[in-house]
Amino acid sequence: MLDISIFTDHFGIYMKGFGNTIWASVIALLGSFALGTIIAVFRISSVKPLRWVGTAYVEFIRNIPLLLVVFVFYLGLPSLGVTLSGFVCGTVGLMVYTASFVAEAIRAGIMSVPSGQTEAARASGLTYMQTMRHVVLPQAIKIVIPPLSNQFINLVKNSSILGVFAGFDLMYYGDQVASKTYATFDTYIFVAALYLVLTLPLSFAALQLERRLAKNG
Amino acid sequence: MIEFQQVEKHYGDFHVLKGIDLQIAQGEVVVVVGPSGSGKSTLLRCINRLEAITSGSLIVNEVDVTDKKADINKLRREIGMVFQHFNLYPHMKVIDNITLAPMKALGVPKPQAADTARMYLDKVGIDDKAGAFPSQLSGGQQQRVAIARALAMKPKIMLFDEPTSALDPEMVGEVLDVMKALVHEGMTMVVVTHEMGFAREVADRVVFMDKGQIVEISPPEEFFEQPREDRARLFLNRVLRH
Repeated sequence: MLDISIFTDHFGIYMKGFGNTIWASVIALLGSFALGTIIAVFRISSVKPLRWVGTAYVEFIRNIPLLLVVFVFYLGLPSLGVTLSGFVCGTVGLMVYTASFVAEAIRAGIMSVPSGQTEAARASGLTYMQTMRHVVLPQAIKIVIPPLSNQFINLVKNSSILGVFAGFDLMYYGDQVASKTYATFDTYIFVAALYLVLTLPLSFAALQLERRLAKNG
Repeated sequence: MIEFQQVEKHYGDFHVLKGIDLQIAQGEVVVVVGPSGSGKSTLLRCINRLEAITSGSLIVNEVDVTDKKADINKLRREIGMVFQHFNLYPHMKVIDNITLAPMKALGVPKPQAADTARMYLDKVGIDDKAGAFPSQLSGGQQQRVAIARALAMKPKIMLFDEPTSALDPEMVGEVLDVMKALVHEGMTMVVVTHEMGFAREVADRVVFMDKGQIVEISPPEEFFEQPREDRARLFLNRVLRH
């Protein structure tokens, strides 16, 4: 039987980790969305150097394990004289990593907007950026919601990387509880349950949003 | 107002425009006809640089379109374009479709842009649809919105790229009527179309293209009654028979 006292006795610790996981996720989510959008726009830009930067970013970051991306911030930056906490390194690493997947999802969405839309906007004298902002991206976002929500659900789960770098997240405190109580299985069941508390509503919200957007043609 | 001189265009190996020479004066209505794949649409799309020309010279509104330093956005603000597939923005209401470019490209304040939009919607006969989304309109209504959208920029030139080709036959008339009204106001227009009746009625000159070349430029009565070129005669036989 699952020992509920593991959870109730360490409720404060669980909640501290849970709170930090939420923080890290929210920051990385917003950051990766903004960064990913910029990278996506670079990637399809008609300006070659921008396109090159975008493509290089996606191909490098996407094909490196998340753990190593965070390592760059955790172990690489100190050699340049910048030392950041595990929480910051984990969150920034997560943001940078997820941005490459977000960029690909958004790029696919942008490509699926008919070229006539861009032509109409450009022909009326709007700049490339205005065309993106007012015409292309609002349409792309609808197409992008399902793949993007997958990425954000992955992001919440991947935030457990913070545990490796003493980032005081849910996984980190879970490890602490497990090593203190030796009730490894029970401890991590509660950790998993708390991740579900975050990811299930996210899944559900994405589904709702998808349905609502589908309705207004 | 528009001056093509020895304009060539290639898509890779495909030679789309060959030695195009064409001058269009202010207030003139030029209708471009010809078989599909003859380069009519490409010719039109070069005027606002949706397509870049490979060589030759093209001056529009005193702007050298080939000049890399030319302010192409400024040029485009003065040229309205209407597309075969309307290309309305599906995520915006009709009124917002029309006010977007005046607000963002010209900096017109929103209330004023909305007034102008309503005026043009009234002009194209669908002022009751301002709050609708494009998907709620018929093809003919959508194309009229697209014309209102282009006019709201107060352009000096209007380009029409097969504006009735994607319409059900019963809706062609309403769009052509709006275009005829524009002709009577003295708008400079370049129209690519298969509507021979429209060409005959309102064109100042008909340009016949085939295989990337301008084969014949004639006033409509001459073009339709006694075309000079065999290829034009052949084409007319085919399109006018039904």
